[in-house]
Amino acid sequence: MNVDCIIIGGGISGLTCGIRCAENGLSCAIISAGMNALHFSSGSIDLLGFHPGKNIVFSPFDELNDFIHSHPRHPYSKYGRNVIEMALSYFGDQVNLKGLELFSNKQNNHFHVTSLGTLKPSFLSQKSVFNQHIMEAFQNNPGIAIINMEGFRDFYPEVVASNLKKNSLFNRCKIVTGSIQLPDSMTGLKNNCNLRSIDISRIFDMGSHIDEIADQIKKIAGNSKIAGIPAFLGIYNSGNILSRLCDLTGLFIYEIPTLPPSILGMRLDNALKSRFADLGGVYIAGDRVKKGYIKNNRVDYIITQNNPDTHLTGTFYVLATGSFFSGGMISESESIKEPVFDLIVEYTKNRKTWYSHDFFHPAGHPFFNFGVNTNDQLNPFDNSGKTIKNLYCSGAILSHYDPVTEGTGGGVAVSSGYYAADRILNHS
Amino acid sequence: MINLENISFDHCIKCTVCTAYCPVARVTHLYPGPKQSGPDTERLRIKNPNLLDESLKYCNNCKRCEIACPSDVKIADIIQNAKWKYSPKKFRLRDMLLSHTDLTGRIATFAGPVFNFFTRLFPVKRLLDFFLNISSKKTLPEYARGTFHHWFNSCRSTQEDYDTRVVYFHGCYVNYNDHELGKDVLCVLNAMNIGVTLTNEKCCGVPLIANSFLSKARRNAAYNIKSLEKSIGGTNRKVVVSSSSCTFALKHEYPNLLEMDTSTISSHIEYITSYICKQFLQKNIPDMKPLNLTAAYHSPCHLERMGGVIYSVEVLKRIPGLELKLLHSECCGISGTYGFKKEFEQIAQDIGNDLFRQIKSLQPDIVITDCETCKWQIEMNTPYEVLHPVSVIARALSGNKFDLTV
Ligand SMILES: Cc1cc2nc3c(=O)[nH]c(=O)nc-3n(C[C@H](O)[C@H](O)[C@H](O)COP(=O)(O)OP(=O)(O)OC[C@H]3O[C@@H](n4cnc5c(N)ncnc54)[C@H](O)[C@@H]3O)c2cc1C
Ligand code: SF4
Ligand code: SF4
Repeated sequence: MNVDCIIIGGGISGLTCGIRCAENGLSCAIISAGMNALHFSSGSIDLLGFHPGKNIVFSPFDELNDFIHSHPRHPYSKYGRNVIEMALSYFGDQVNLKGLELFSNKQNNHFHVTSLGTLKPSFLSQKSVFNQHIMEAFQNNPGIAIINMEGFRDFYPEVVASNLKKNSLFNRCKIVTGSIQLPDSMTGLKNNCNLRSIDISRIFDMGSHIDEIADQIKKIAGNSKIAGIPAFLGIYNSGNILSRLCDLTGLFIYEIPTLPPSILGMRLDNALKSRFADLGGVYIAGDRVKKGYIKNNRVDYIITQNNPDTHLTGTFYVLATGSFFSGGMISESESIKEPVFDLIVEYTKNRKTWYSHDFFHPAGHPFFNFGVNTNDQLNPFDNSGKTIKNLYCSGAILSHYDPVTEGTGGGVAVSSGYYAADRILNHS
Repeated sequence: MINLENISFDHCIKCTVCTAYCPVARVTHLYPGPKQSGPDTERLRIKNPNLLDESLKYCNNCKRCEIACPSDVKIADIIQNAKWKYSPKKFRLRDMLLSHTDLTGRIATFAGPVFNFFTRLFPVKRLLDFFLNISSKKTLPEYARGTFHHWFNSCRSTQEDYDTRVVYFHGCYVNYNDHELGKDVLCVLNAMNIGVTLTNEKCCGVPLIANSFLSKARRNAAYNIKSLEKSIGGTNRKVVVSSSSCTFALKHEYPNLLEMDTSTISSHIEYITSYICKQFLQKNIPDMKPLNLTAAYHSPCHLERMGGVIYSVEVLKRIPGLELKLLHSECCGISGTYGFKKEFEQIAQDIGNDLFRQIKSLQPDIVITDCETCKWQIEMNTPYEVLHPVSVIARALSGNKFDLTV
């Protein structure tokens, strides 16, 4: 098998890279073991959320130059502010082509509400999470209703409401809570307490009970302006469902991310995969790249778990296998390995220094920063320290950034995937 | 005692991603989904088998949950094993007839056209429906007269002239239902200067596994492994398989689910398009004339599970004049014998509907897929002819020696 570009790992980073390569005429295959981190995420793309010590960043683009200056080894520092800006706008356009709109607060961050009722800064969100109209509505101390679906145990409206109340932005808002019920024809169908976000999302995707649900929402909301509900308004049909619900209720319907599976994340995943397929990309799901072989500072071929006897070859390779959670890195008792190419991983030697004893320590955990180090072109180093010329690394596998403490997860994944494609296109 | 070897369920992080991709859970509330039926209840079942619940039977073993799982839990294997290990053993004539393809095939091919004539009659369908719970809305697959294995004798000698020869594992479908596909495999390989030998084979076991005849599946597996070892005879000869599900069984279900030792044959076994693709890459490409056809390609679940789709697509892309449209990956619903059973018929239909809609909206000249049961399901539900990738190559070959071209 021979293609121009083999991408290992089909998360947000690998997909962004694949879409850009395929759009420019390269033949691309993505091989991905299990489903990616989008299924566990908020579905919003963080660009730069926090200063050190957890102070919130309001306009990330104004701060990026300083941030890059003070973080010389950060992935952002390898390609700079312009690339980041182009990457995010490219990403938004590509997703939009599949009917999923992403919104930003111009060049600034916006907040989204978490399932605990706290606020998190982010840069790009779906329409039900952020848009100018919702933002204006929130600024006028509106009445807010937090509404659950009866039987959905991954969401507690009272917790959300009481935490929102503690926030100075909301303490003048009237907040009510309540639960709607599955439409009559659907009750008894499934053991109600087993409902997960995906089950409810499927009912919405059918699009058949929207009127009934809108009536129920309206009753609970009373004279609120905004109704916050768990993010389960369908995956494939969500845009349509959202606007019907808004029209029927006259409310702003606001989606709050849930526990996994994240419907907001799955919408993004679906849009990206389908865009990649439209461009002729081949996505091989459920196979793991077992090993990559390197000859003369270049990747020679790779083999996968399902077809260990077949050599897959490409002109370029991208390693976008994510962090520990996705299997991009593996931690052993005293060491951390990158399992495909055995690349040099940056980490501190003594295991005791890997994590902070306080789980919520404001400086985060050191292991968040561990990862594969690369040169400015995103080429990594093999275990003898030589650069591998036709291999690029992107996304959560990279070292020297902390997605959680900095609030840079999605931004690094998107921009490094975009930049890896840039380097490949430059060479081909 | 808890068997500590089988604890892949312990890797489950309870994310429910598997259930989000299960085609059965998508369409019916009767099935709680892979997370609950697999890892969640397995930990209870190993302590107390009485905690088994009826809903396991809804799983169609498509393996899409395993493709989705980020933690490598062998969810579908856990479910098939539980069905077999803990379910009360009830004999059902229908399941036995549908799953013992060797037996049914031998009887049906003996009577060939007569059998087909009867199973297509409405009163007969009603009787099958009434007595055996085989859905009357489905048409049982057509049977050929005689077996492929028998037909092969007529051209066996021509195959001995080739320097390179492969063992062809044709499977029950080619043997009993569709000799043409077997002949196409021969034509295409011959056109690439490769000869074919057969091996003594029994049903690979896929329908037996799906209907919980696991001991019988193990016996067949043992027979096939031995027979293939003999045909390989210590050489590096390849075994090519034209059914994606047979390939899946030989390569994956044997070692993983049936726990058979396949180390002597595993590296020899190759799905046909993967073999052809590698030949193409070594510039062994037969002469093909342009087809001028638009085709929609459907990737079968089991081919996806073993990472074989890329080869079929690559091979198809090299056929001149074939405009290929890849369908969004979705289960067709039939899952071997599942969709023929009356109690699952509606579910199978609901699962497949999205796929049928996609195909109809593309209005292709033909549909291409690697799996025989996907072919039946798509032909029953859309107006299009469905071909195996190898049959499409055969059509493109000029001067087809078995004269099969249209
Ligand atoms: C639980 C969680 C929640 C998060 N939430 C947010 C959020 O809300 N907003 C935000 O901006 N960021 C979030 N992040 C940060 C996140 O890491 C990035 O946003 C981004 O999703 C990472 O994308 P990626 O493409 O680099 O990797 P991933 O999405 O992790 O994808 C890697 C893929 O590679 C596959 N893979 C691994 N090894 C192999 C192999 N050997 N062969 C083949 N395939 C392989 C994996 O199965 C996986 O599908 C979150 C991270 C986690 C872990
Ligand atoms: S996808 Fe895997 S880890 Fe997640 S719930 Fe299913 S079995 Fe468990
Ligand atoms: S094998 Fe298929 S039907 Fe069975 S649980 Fe998994 S996804 Fe669902």
